[in-house]
Amino acid sequence: MTMKKLLAAALSLFAVTTAQAADEFHLYNWNNYLADETILRFQDYCKCKLVQTNYADNEEMLAKLAAGAAGYDMIVPTGNALEPLIKQDFLKPLDRAQLPNLKNMNPAYLNTEFDKGNKYSVPYAYTITMLGYNDARMKELGITVDSWAVIFDPAILAKIKGKVTVLDSANELMGAALRYKGYSANDTDEKHWAEAKDVIMKAKPYWAAFNGTSYIKELTVGNIWVAHGYSNDIYQANVDAQAAKRPFHILHGMPKEGAVLALDNMVIPKSAPRPDLALKFMNFMMDGKNASDLTNMMGSGNPNLEAAKYIKPEIIKNGAIFPDKAGMGKLEMLRDLDSKKRRLRTKIWTEIKAS
Amino acid sequence: MAKQSQGKSLARWLISGPPQLYLLVFFVIPCLIMVLAAFRSPGDYGGLAPLHDADGKLDLSFDNFARLGEDIIYVRIFIKSLLYALITTIVCLLMAYPLATLIAKSSKKYRDFLLLLVILPFWSNFLIRVYAWMIILGPQSALSKAVNAVLGLFGAEPVSLLFSGFAVIVCLVYVHLPFMVLPLYANLEKHDPALLDAAQDLGANGWQRFWRVTFPLSLPGVFAGAALVFIPALGIFAVSDILGGTSGIMIGNVIKQQLLETRDWPFGSVLSICLTAAALLAAGLAAWVARQRREVHA
Amino acid sequence: MPKSMSKRTLLWAIAAAVYAFLYVPLLIVIVYSFNDSRLNAEWVGFTFDWYVKLFHHDEMIEAAGNSLGIALVTSVCSTVLGTMAGFAMHKYKSKVLQILVLTPIAIPEILTGVSLLLFFVMLNMSLGLVSITLAHIAFCIGFVAIVVRSRLAGMDESLTEAARDCGATPWKAFRLVTLPLIMPGVIAGALMAFTLSIDDFVITFFTAGANASTLPLQIYSMVKIAVTPEVNAVSTLLMGLTLLLIVIASKLSPSALRS
Repeated sequence: MTMKKLLAAALSLFAVTTAQAADEFHLYNWNNYLADETILRFQDYCKCKLVQTNYADNEEMLAKLAAGAAGYDMIVPTGNALEPLIKQDFLKPLDRAQLPNLKNMNPAYLNTEFDKGNKYSVPYAYTITMLGYNDARMKELGITVDSWAVIFDPAILAKIKGKVTVLDSANELMGAALRYKGYSANDTDEKHWAEAKDVIMKAKPYWAAFNGTSYIKELTVGNIWVAHGYSNDIYQANVDAQAAKRPFHILHGMPKEGAVLALDNMVIPKSAPRPDLALKFMNFMMDGKNASDLTNMMGSGNPNLEAAKYIKPEIIKNGAIFPDKAGMGKLEMLRDLDSKKRRLRTKIWTEIKAS
Repeated sequence: MAKQSQGKSLARWLISGPPQLYLLVFFVIPCLIMVLAAFRSPGDYGGLAPLHDADGKLDLSFDNFARLGEDIIYVRIFIKSLLYALITTIVCLLMAYPLATLIAKSSKKYRDFLLLLVILPFWSNFLIRVYAWMIILGPQSALSKAVNAVLGLFGAEPVSLLFSGFAVIVCLVYVHLPFMVLPLYANLEKHDPALLDAAQDLGANGWQRFWRVTFPLSLPGVFAGAALVFIPALGIFAVSDILGGTSGIMIGNVIKQQLLETRDWPFGSVLSICLTAAALLAAGLAAWVARQRREVHA
Repeated sequence: MPKSMSKRTLLWAIAAAVYAFLYVPLLIVIVYSFNDSRLNAEWVGFTFDWYVKLFHHDEMIEAAGNSLGIALVTSVCSTVLGTMAGFAMHKYKSKVLQILVLTPIAIPEILTGVSLLLFFVMLNMSLGLVSITLAHIAFCIGFVAIVVRSRLAGMDESLTEAARDCGATPWKAFRLVTLPLIMPGVIAGALMAFTLSIDDFVITFFTAGANASTLPLQIYSMVKIAVTPEVNAVSTLLMGLTLLLIVIASKLSPSALRS
């Protein structure tokens, strides 16, 4: 009897939640990558409902799409995830006529290697992978954080043993090690990879963990003093540290050897049920004010020139979030690798992690 | 006579049919797709290459299996995972047995409540619980400070409880404990106290009563619990990801890597098949040992 | 007499220690849901803010509701199917069923997840709450079956035989004799299935569509940025709600939970 009642309750829950509204725009996005005000403003503007589903990793999103998941109107992949999507012919070419706000975009972020002419994508936001550090501790130890050596050189690491985390990403860590050795982050020479692996193995004993997620927390609390991380995360860590009235700041350390730029882009999959709403959203997000919301919220880089007017001055002045021309010259975007190279890279990564 | 046996086989189909059918449709067939993938080639950009290559021939091979032999590293990681799963199972058993015994022996009033109490924490979210362990084992916690104080007394170096094999095992045990308690409880609950009384009357002391009456009777529960802990613990990846530190990689992580980062579904499939086969083998072995013991004691 | 009493106390002491092991992390979860710190790494101050935020956070609430609904349906269906499987495994010693039931537990979740996604896509089935539930039932059946089977093993067959001798049909014998006897195993299995379903991430990730979200999915995607105390709040509430449901259910049908 009770079982029947419970069953009925559960089924009605199903019915309610699966009933769909008419005008819905399905966005598959990173978590916390769209400000609440922007969502409300867009829903007002398009007279539709914005439904967001989130992912935490490009790879998970790619796996789902490769297996055939559909129903998303727009996805926000990073550049190196955009490549396989284009090559597998998953994306709809963009109708430029519907995107007048394209003129607001900074040309430095258009026409990238993975989507020449921006046939399929439009930039959304970017972050730079660099070092975040506890300024009080580093001052005490006399370490200037301006080079990858801080996480790779055993001489420096000895002073901060157990207080360093690095990203749990083969691409990012190998990219950093390659730049440290003076090569491009996209270098595919096996000998250079072996050198990078060597650098990592020598430094590994001094690291606390491979951590791509909770390092902000650890930095803010003071458990970790140097973290290999993303510029917007480091910005967040500092905001939180100030809010918690800690006796230190979390600062950005841009390595002089160069770093990786991760550009996230808006794309429309071929299977999108409402490509018209997607284009509307794209154009909407390229408007200066709308584009500025995210940067003000989380310190992410902004490829939109018009947005500069609306962004908080302290963020605009931050050279780690908005690099000048010289800084831009040292940044690289990661490219996707072919399957043979991916295999080799994963093998190296497994060996690094298993030792 | 014929009707009775007909009725019997009808009953057999009615009872074993529905679960078999369900699993056939929603498990076996989907898995066959991926098992087939083990013989195919990886797609250039991820996923699988087309079934028929450029010449229209079927593109199937044992290449992916051959790769297993190429490198000792996968075997090493696998053995490590086996070890961790085994340790987790044993610790779970040691912790769960007293608890299950207590619950089984309690009066009916308290029994359900105590049982619920065991499983209640597991209706909170997995990640949150792991993060709670990060706080408990973190360098700033009372536990860490206490342990290091004791170590300091002996002149030993301070250790980090977090980001270590210890943290992984603690969390693995924590995550799997109810799956050992519940089967044990279900078994212990039906033990007839009269058997123990009889043994006592025959002169058996406490330990003998346990080891020669209670434990053998509880073996089916022990094996059920061990299976439900060992097998999932073998393939888990989330715990070692978060708490494992720099050398925490387990076979579950490797499979995840292959399927997601390398986007090499065929090789990921091969590793999964090996893992599944090993787990099933372990379960089969345990069941065989159990049967041998029963036959010896019968 | 004194010997058995000190044994009893020892048992109680160990059990209490295990309960403490289970509950210290949980208490941290609950207490930190009132923590006035976004990053929630250490205690800052007391606040109800996160609960307030939660009530305005539609997506989170919907996800929690989905999780609960899916877990209920999964629990019921997999308990029924799993009990049948456990019974068949015991009575007919079916090797096929044994392997069939054990393999979903053994196979890495990612593989199951990707396989099911490919399968549903092949069938052109729309992904959503139904696809998630179907997937959950598949891997929960095994857990129930194994527990029920272990409960049946060593159960006194003479009672059922006696019922048959008295003229009861097999179904009646099962319903009135066997089922009550294996009820603790069935309940244990149902509890496990519910727990597995409500907290599953990997398989749900692959079989959820653009519309459906469950709590683990919602929380995992927050991991990259910050797992705020709001998550602790929703976890605490979900636990409380589930406990309430169970208490209500047991009050309404006292016979079900009594062994």
